[in-house]
Amino acid sequence: MAEGSVGILDIFGPVMIGPSSSHTAGVARIAFLARKLFPYPVEKARVTFYGSLARTYRGHGSDKAAVAGLLGILPDDERLSYSLELARKEGLPVEIVPEYEGPERYHPNTAVVELWGGGKYSRVRGASIGGGKIRLQSVNGFEADLDGSLEAILVLHHDEVGVIAIVSHILAASRFNIASVVSHRKDKGDEALLVVEVDGAVPASIVAQLRDLPPVREVVYVPSLRS
Amino acid sequence: MNWKFSTADELLARVSESGLGFADYLVARDAFYSGRTVDEVRAEVAHRIRVSRAALDRGTAEPQVSFSGMTRGGAVLLGASTGWPVDDEFFRMALTYALAINEVNACGGRIIAFPTAGSCGIVPGVLWAWRDARASDLGPESIAFQDAFIMASAVGILIAARATLAGAAGGCQAECGAAGAMAAAGLATLLGADAATALDAAALSLKNSLGLACDPVAGLVEVPCTKRNAFLAANAITAVSLSRAGIRSVIPFDEVVGAMKSIGDAMPASVRESAEGGLAKTATGMSFWEKIR
Repeated sequence: MAEGSVGILDIFGPVMIGPSSSHTAGVARIAFLARKLFPYPVEKARVTFYGSLARTYRGHGSDKAAVAGLLGILPDDERLSYSLELARKEGLPVEIVPEYEGPERYHPNTAVVELWGGGKYSRVRGASIGGGKIRLQSVNGFEADLDGSLEAILVLHHDEVGVIAIVSHILAASRFNIASVVSHRKDKGDEALLVVEVDGAVPASIVAQLRDLPPVREVVYVPSLRS
Repeated sequence: MNWKFSTADELLARVSESGLGFADYLVARDAFYSGRTVDEVRAEVAHRIRVSRAALDRGTAEPQVSFSGMTRGGAVLLGASTGWPVDDEFFRMALTYALAINEVNACGGRIIAFPTAGSCGIVPGVLWAWRDARASDLGPESIAFQDAFIMASAVGILIAARATLAGAAGGCQAECGAAGAMAAAGLATLLGADAATALDAAALSLKNSLGLACDPVAGLVEVPCTKRNAFLAANAITAVSLSRAGIRSVIPFDEVVGAMKSIGDAMPASVRESAEGGLAKTATGMSFWEKIR
């Protein structure tokens, strides 16, 4: 939601399971996106709460919210309130860890979601910034800044000339309007993460086309929370 | 069409330029930014009004008891009370409904944040009470009822644009205080006020909640939040009562929002949702930390 474009449905909403937009709805959204980012079956999950979330997660049901998100349940779904039982039935073990003091740079309402499955591991750090709005700030060691308002494609690639141009070209050829492109890299010539936000849902065929590019190691598609 | 505004004066000017009615301009603006049609935006407004009703019905029918034990079916008690000093059906319903919806929130039920979860009972509590007590022909599908919720939302948009709707940034004046102003504007609209008059009613309500602390016990959205929903419903009704008598706010709405921003900036962090001051630091308040571990 861009500055100055707050509308009636931003104020009159979201529909959510209480009690706290930041401690319940926002946490569910972080976990939901973390799950969407991981294209494997999940065998085990760990959610670490920092700051205010660590101190108040039981009273706010943040644990239920996190588990709900991992099960693909969004903040407006009544199943959120009994997500712990659903996870048990589905055989998904989720460990909840409160960390009262987080690193200085962490937002006061931070959740870290770690997932294991199919021999893979993923770690996503999200901040719940108020009113149910969130930001994913770190994805598998890469700094990111995703708010779930747009469809996003995360392209993990070897850092070399021309990757941004090729990815943009493929999207433009299929008439996707690119809202933003941000490139993060660990070191020059090392791995880099390209985060592309687009208007409109991206079909699997395009994601596959990107994945086939020689410098590309992994492509993760994150649908928007609105879709 | 120009969709940009940050003050009430600008909004009223944009509406006037658009040739649309006040609510229709805002619906068209939401449609423009979200890529939906105006009919889809209206349908979503109706859906959200229905969600607020479901929460209200739940909170008035079943005693809501929370994990912390601080919420214990207050709305059911209030609805059954025979001890009302002000025995008016609308007033009784407004207080009961506002409390009921927010108790459902405190207990992890399904609600619609308006503008936040901790203040979600105030606007629907007041508007549904008016409908139930005085205007049974209204409902989620009626344009007049939707327009009242949209007017309330407009007040929220204006406060978000120049101040804040987050207790962590501006204290409770930004949550329940804002919702009280929104409810005043919505109720004034239901009673036939034009947009400028409804915004003035919002100013009257907002002035009376400037400086409200956000000092939640054990950091939970519960004490003082749930009962404050009933109090701010009364605040909104008082504002509309004054407004209907022709009493206007000496300080215009936009300047009240500016004052709210400056007061929020001056508030210490201990009373901005940190649970490190005020009621949260009382002996009884502190005892709840242990109970929720």
